[in-house]
Amino acid sequence: MIWHITKREIYDNLNSLRFALTTLLLLALMLTNAVVYLREHPTRTQAYHDATAEAVEKLKARSTNLYRLATEGPGRLYKVHSPLRFCAAGDEAFLSRYIRGENYFSDIANARPLWRLTYPQQTPNIHNIRPDFTTLDWAFIVGYVLSFVAILFTFNSVSGELQRGTLRLTLANPIPRHAVLIGKFSGTFISINIPFAIAVLMNLFLISTSDAVQLTAESWERLGILYVVAILYMCLFMALGILISAVVRESGVSLVVLLLIWVSFVIFMPNTLASIGSRTSVPMAYMEFWEEGNRLGNEVRKAYQDKYGNTQTAPSVHVRAEYITAEAEQNERFNETYLNQQIKQGKRARVIPRISPAAIVQRLFESFAGTGVERHLQFIENAQRYAREYREFVIDTDRADTESLHAVGIPEGMSQKSVSIEAIPMFKDTLSLTRDFNAAAIDFLLLTLFLIALLSGAYLAFVRIEI
Amino acid sequence: MLKTLIRRELLNNLMTFRFAAVLLITLLLVVANTAVLIQDYEQRLARYNAAVKTHSEELRQAKIYSKMFLFVDRAPNPLSIFNVGLDKRLGNVIGIFHQFVPTLWDTFMHGTDNPFIAFFSSIDIVFIFEVVLSLMGLIFAYDAIAGERERGTLRLVLAQPVRRGHILLAKYISAMACLLVPLLLSLLFAMLLLIRSIPLSSADFLRIGGIVVASFAYLSLFYLIGLLISVLTHRTGTALMLAMFVWGFLILVYPNLIRAVVPPGADIQTRKKTAANQLQQILDEYGRERQKFLESEGIAGETSEFSKTFELYTDVYVDTERLDLYIENEMANISPDFERHVPLAKRYFDFVEPLIIRTAEKSWRIRQQALDDIFVRQAELDRILLRLSPVGMYDAATQAWAGTDLLGIRDFFEASRRYRKVIIDYFYAKRAFASRQWFVADRGAVEWNTLPEFTFERGDVSTNAQRALPDLFLLIIGNLVLFMCILLIFTKREV
Repeated sequence: MIWHITKREIYDNLNSLRFALTTLLLLALMLTNAVVYLREHPTRTQAYHDATAEAVEKLKARSTNLYRLATEGPGRLYKVHSPLRFCAAGDEAFLSRYIRGENYFSDIANARPLWRLTYPQQTPNIHNIRPDFTTLDWAFIVGYVLSFVAILFTFNSVSGELQRGTLRLTLANPIPRHAVLIGKFSGTFISINIPFAIAVLMNLFLISTSDAVQLTAESWERLGILYVVAILYMCLFMALGILISAVVRESGVSLVVLLLIWVSFVIFMPNTLASIGSRTSVPMAYMEFWEEGNRLGNEVRKAYQDKYGNTQTAPSVHVRAEYITAEAEQNERFNETYLNQQIKQGKRARVIPRISPAAIVQRLFESFAGTGVERHLQFIENAQRYAREYREFVIDTDRADTESLHAVGIPEGMSQKSVSIEAIPMFKDTLSLTRDFNAAAIDFLLLTLFLIALLSGAYLAFVRIEI
Repeated sequence: MLKTLIRRELLNNLMTFRFAAVLLITLLLVVANTAVLIQDYEQRLARYNAAVKTHSEELRQAKIYSKMFLFVDRAPNPLSIFNVGLDKRLGNVIGIFHQFVPTLWDTFMHGTDNPFIAFFSSIDIVFIFEVVLSLMGLIFAYDAIAGERERGTLRLVLAQPVRRGHILLAKYISAMACLLVPLLLSLLFAMLLLIRSIPLSSADFLRIGGIVVASFAYLSLFYLIGLLISVLTHRTGTALMLAMFVWGFLILVYPNLIRAVVPPGADIQTRKKTAANQLQQILDEYGRERQKFLESEGIAGETSEFSKTFELYTDVYVDTERLDLYIENEMANISPDFERHVPLAKRYFDFVEPLIIRTAEKSWRIRQQALDDIFVRQAELDRILLRLSPVGMYDAATQAWAGTDLLGIRDFFEASRRYRKVIIDYFYAKRAFASRQWFVADRGAVEWNTLPEFTFERGDVSTNAQRALPDLFLLIIGNLVLFMCILLIFTKREV
């Protein structure tokens, strides 16, 4: 009997205008998404390969002299692009593609410290004068369009039948109410899923058959998870639609209520709440940062000058090396503090919006597509680990040279011998799936919780409804 | 008769649940977001004030003219609460140097520009209206005709001696009267919050008036779109679905579709390379003229005693990435026979610094042109395509009223460019280039107190109006065309 109701629901929907329009809209969006991605992806990967090749070349050129290698390093470290960027571009437009690695000549010690990372940067957005855009990625199509469609399919599922009187007819048969509800739910579920699945398959077909993109088994695994997330999210809005439709009993009114809920939760809440959340932890201003950095640098410098007077007359290369390392370490620490303040604000901004399912889905999509903030933090960690490894390598190589004075950072105090290029550690940014799972677990849980709450709400409302 | 019709429609509209719901949600969204936006504005203002203070202190630290460290700051625009436009996004600190003319791309931010929260768009009042007003307009309109047709009341009304045009007019007037309530009421609340914490000038009130007019035209346009759908369809269900998908397309999908469909503009790298070549030519010309002067003074280039005494190291570079041409003279290392070279140094700087100023202005023209070609054209193309959706017209009109559009921001850059000229004139008047204080402060540091101050006034209301009117006209023309269409279809159609 459930199957009977399901079938009726599906036939009803297949003939409707909304089904046709949904199919059209979803197909158009998914195809655009694939086409744009295929247009942009090759240039992006090419840029990454060029940049990493350049870094290797730089290292090669510098490997003739350990001191040069130690102070100039490989230059910038580049982030590897996720092949699943078409699922969620996320923050990628605002987050930097690389971390700078450089250091400044210290005139007081007449030398350069070891190569280190410097983070604080302005967003590329400072030059962006184009109108505001959201990328048409899967996260957008699911987060905005699919949820909208789910509402349009369910707003009259109960109230419409109540008004037409067909619900009475159905319930006059010997079927339990929950069976009617399940039948209706699964019917609508299948009817939305048909255009969505077709659109997704077309999208994936275009992308996977292109030579420009190589999707690995892991990528497919992630795509599967993303599809499940999309379905859960869709069910959530369907349950909401049925709930409101059963409570309000009048189609016109239930649509207005649903639209207003949808607009508030999907469009406004994620951004407004993020704005409020980011207020709870504000990093220091960029200018303050520079001033404070200078002040701290001067402190280190002053302590040194008090002890040894002018540098040119300093007792030994070791003292100068000690100074230059202290200054560089202080600088690095301070840079990291600022970076951490920024990250903290970014994290705070993402906490409260979680009461909106749209924000949760956005996060989940970013996590599993390997883009967005979580991924960027992973990249920063990789870069930091590499920088430590690199410095250790330099110090160890210098130790191995018996002629060297082991004064790190001072030209005449360090080994100037050439190093074999194979021995130098190379930076390789990696994506890790398990970490994404950890980051996403709580979002997954929250989404399921919302879904269960709304489903039971819809069930109760439907069972209690008077006809 | 028209009056009776209007009364009937008004009552029909006002006593509905949808009216109450729409009113409530608009008020809630606008008030909550305005409170957030005001806080945000105040934070930006505090940062601006701190930056102004720091920059004026930094200026006093310079002892010689050539090391002048002068920055001007762009204050946040209070009307960015209505439409933020480019106000928060573009840099707000501009350096004023005699050897460099800034473009829109030579700035930085004094506040935090945290990339980790840049993803969240700030929701301004116009954005709320963009989404909510359009939805409201459609919800009120979709069943206006189709509903009456379905219920059969349209036949009843038309049986009376009424003109069909009057029925439409009555529906339009009464619906707009209802829809104006949430619009004006929420604006009123927002204004109450605003004037409590942000001082607004009378010109600002006129600008806000302009924004209200644009909002009205936008709302009316969407009501008419809904009415058109309603006239064309026979069943409310169909009308509703069409209206919703039209909304989803115009508001959600189309603005974002543009970027996907518009191909990336002219090849950036080639354009930058040509510009860099031109810059190199200007630089070479500068080098030749400088060389000519050095020869006429009998100085044998960079290895001469004079050059060494002054460490006359000219740091010049042409950068393709940012398209910079920057010339800097490093100077004055006081040595025993320093005094002997001073007269020559004065002549040298008196010749070379004006030359640098001319070079900087020449290179500015090339950089400006290239950057316009690369960035501005693309943005303008986007804007033109965006206007195919009413959202684009509304956004452009309100940005122009608020002064947060590209032209409004450019006004500030023009002002800073004029200020640079004022500073240079001041240098000429003080004969700074030929003075000892240009390169050494051993006989007293430069007194900066007489340096002209930077002031910037946003253009008056008529400038805003001039920039906003084209888009406002587009909105109004859209309204008229739609109304004519509806009238035509409704009068010709069988009931």
